[in-house]
Amino acid sequence: MNEQRLRDLLRETPVPGAEDAERHGRAMLESAFADRQPDRRRPAPRRLALALAGATLLLAVILSPAGAAVRDWIDDALTVGVRDAEPALTEIPGGGRLLVTSPQGAWAVQADGSRRLLGAYEEATWSPRGLFAVAASGRTLSAIEPDGTVRWSISATASVADPRWSPSGFRIAYRAGRTLRVVGGDGSGDRPLARGIAAVAAAWVPGGPHVLAYADADGEVVVRNADTGEILGSTEASAAARAVTWAPDGSSLLVATRDALLVHDVGTSKLVGRLALGAPRRLPLPPASTVAGASFSPGGETIAALLSRPGDGARPARSELVLIDPAGGGTRGLFRAPGPLAGFAWSPNSERLLLPWPAADQWLFIPADGRGRVRAIGGISAEFSPGMEPDMAVFPRLEGWCCP
Amino acid sequence: MVERDRKLVREAQAGSREALTALYDAHWPRAHRAAYLVVHDSAAAEDVAQEAFLAAVDALDRFDRRRPFGPWLHRIVVNRAIDWSRREALRRGAEEPDDVPAPPPDEQIGDEAMSALAQLPAEQRAVVVLRYLLDYTPGEIARMLKVPRGTVNSRLRRALDRLGALLEAEAAR
Repeated sequence: MNEQRLRDLLRETPVPGAEDAERHGRAMLESAFADRQPDRRRPAPRRLALALAGATLLLAVILSPAGAAVRDWIDDALTVGVRDAEPALTEIPGGGRLLVTSPQGAWAVQADGSRRLLGAYEEATWSPRGLFAVAASGRTLSAIEPDGTVRWSISATASVADPRWSPSGFRIAYRAGRTLRVVGGDGSGDRPLARGIAAVAAAWVPGGPHVLAYADADGEVVVRNADTGEILGSTEASAAARAVTWAPDGSSLLVATRDALLVHDVGTSKLVGRLALGAPRRLPLPPASTVAGASFSPGGETIAALLSRPGDGARPARSELVLIDPAGGGTRGLFRAPGPLAGFAWSPNSERLLLPWPAADQWLFIPADGRGRVRAIGGISAEFSPGMEPDMAVFPRLEGWCCP
Repeated sequence: MVERDRKLVREAQAGSREALTALYDAHWPRAHRAAYLVVHDSAAAEDVAQEAFLAAVDALDRFDRRRPFGPWLHRIVVNRAIDWSRREALRRGAEEPDDVPAPPPDEQIGDEAMSALAQLPAEQRAVVVLRYLLDYTPGEIARMLKVPRGTVNSRLRRALDRLGALLEAEAAR
């Protein structure tokens, strides 16, 4: 191909949405720049008054150099955070262990902040008690020990994704292409369970028999016995699900779509025989919100949802982490930031949420009750990109938080 | 351009919003275009370019003014765009049905040549963009991507050959 022709094409081809992108980027940049100005770091009178009034809510401002744009809490109730991000991960606030993936592979992070590279995997999740992890790489699914030793591996006919270990420990569900498959916890008995499913992780019903909920390509969510293949119930077709998750006691099923959070109450708590999924209850969301993800807290008291909201001429696009009463009682904002946030995870005891913020290169450990101090850990990319120059490091993906 | 950028970075470090805006005006269009040509997804391109500029603001106080701003920014943009593309390829791979071929690439760009570009691996798209949009030499590209110079040359050669073949095939239809 003629090089000059290629140059011309690259320079002249229209870029879709370029004007909007330019405007959003400018608003975002100005917001971030304003936040780094020293005179903007002083608490506003209202904030100061609240602090002096002895408000029990968190008041320190998140304004470390790396996290300067973080200062906004939903409902404009307070502008709060921690003053300085900690420079390195020396412990996991609240304890437990994390699984993380970076371009180097999957990492296990211990409670003291120490890290171990488990191997070249693209995705991983803990077993119920954290004794193993199950990891995906290409068309291979592997069970690995916390030191990276491979217990077993199986190969699929399509790329493997979204492995999930059952609460009993005896089954693992995963997607191979558009097929939902189930394999024993020891790697035996690999078999297909359903075809034509959506690209969404299946969810095991907590505590009971081997029952899975999964979204199919038609927008239905199906509940199925993984051992017998029997379909136990299903929802009406709706918009494509982005996440499917059970309440910890199995009493309700949460389906997140792009624009809604839908709760289906489950007709029988025993999950024996067919079960009745109630009509969806739509949980309240802030206007113009898009749902990026949602899950029940491990205790089941609340639902955390990561939302994104579009920018306009005055404000940049932003992401928000909110807590929602599953009974429909209300929504409480926990954190807001410009730009994308990369998922979240509940601590095993429901007390904190870990919110990765790629643009700030930080992990934020946020108390779920809003009363404690937010701990921000900076330099996360470098922690999981050993040997790379800082500006070449890639922000890792949080896979899970498990097991004190 | 380089001297002007140095002056603007210095002024932005001192707190000048106007200087930062001038840097943005000078570099956003090419950074955003470069991101788009690597990821071929308008929303992702916006995210990648925004993240690069936010990283620039974040690093402003410790930015070494002897370094040229443009290459530093482009390096972040292209590497993040490659990373996004790799993840997207994995995601798409995981969504493929068991027994049918992969879906055709996104043809949002429309033009045959751009459609052909979209069919190249992300690493080849990145070197094409760095070479023919941003005008870096193979040596500079090698340093930006941390790969040997020979790898850059071979990726460029393969990309150009592939683009030529794809365009020929299009023309023959």
